[in-house]
Amino acid sequence: MIFTMETIQIAAFLGAALSVGIASITCGMGVGYIASAASYGIMRQPDSHDKLFRAMFIGQAVTETGGIFSLVIALLLMFGGFDVVEGGWFRFAALLSAGIAVGLGSLGPVTGAGYAGGQACHAISRMPRQSNSILGYMLIGQALAQTSSIFALLVSLLLLYSTPLQDSIPNLTAGHILLRSVAYIGAGLAIGIGTIGPGVGIGNVAGKGCRMIGKFPRQKSHIMRTMFLGAAVSQSTAIYALVVSFLLIFSVK
Amino acid sequence: MDQLARAAALLGAGIAMGIGALGPGIGEGFVAGKACEGIARAPEHASLITRTMLVGQAVSESTGIYSLVIALLLIFST
Repeated sequence: MIFTMETIQIAAFLGAALSVGIASITCGMGVGYIASAASYGIMRQPDSHDKLFRAMFIGQAVTETGGIFSLVIALLLMFGGFDVVEGGWFRFAALLSAGIAVGLGSLGPVTGAGYAGGQACHAISRMPRQSNSILGYMLIGQALAQTSSIFALLVSLLLLYSTPLQDSIPNLTAGHILLRSVAYIGAGLAIGIGTIGPGVGIGNVAGKGCRMIGKFPRQKSHIMRTMFLGAAVSQSTAIYALVVSFLLIFSVK
Repeated sequence: MDQLARAAALLGAGIAMGIGALGPGIGEGFVAGKACEGIARAPEHASLITRTMLVGQAVSESTGIYSLVIALLLIFST
């Protein structure tokens, strides 16, 4: 197949569309869940509306991070100067895969962070006097959940900027080109799908932790410890996916 | 043809690790969430609950490790 300017543009635009398109699914759901929890909380505790509004706004901002990562990658794909023919099929695969990685990669973390934020709003409406400490735990939990979307962003940026161009390697056979291009797609799929589980799981931990701090504020230290331990173990599968992605990007020759 | 098979193996490695991480991630998070609830309600049994949580997570992790093993085999031994 003849490689032209249009071929590389197809990859860049398709990658950009997949990146923001997939990410928006759960971004909207997560942010909406926080708003619904805050609205319900204000119905129960109209006097604490300022605390609930603050928690909702901060929680939504952190949840939106995954969507912003996707937007950044989409803008880079469209306007980052990647529409040159030199890269060949390597660049075609890397651009497409960068979009898939960050799009799928923000599905789970954003869902998780949204759940954590919503549960924190429920907890604040139950116990408004604890709002500051609940807010702190919510932020920590959401940050833990978003870690895996940062893994996806990292892989996506690596695919964009540190994969070799096809013309820089002499004596490439068609088989080698196919091999590396498919490995880049595989790397994007591994980290993209691989972060969904850990993101949702850690969000569940953080949400339950926030809710329980609202119910039993005196057990803070116990809950905090369990939350950290559980989140760390849950993160391990995202790290496996990151390792496999790195291997696929860097060790396939 | 040989390269095509190897390319399929590499794509398979990515998909295996990706989908394989879904279940353990959600499952372990569910265990830890319930453990948080349990410890909040019964702090005197914190060590027992933490132990059970870790054992449960370890068992849940095993399928993630199977996926990792298969992915590494697909990358390096084909």
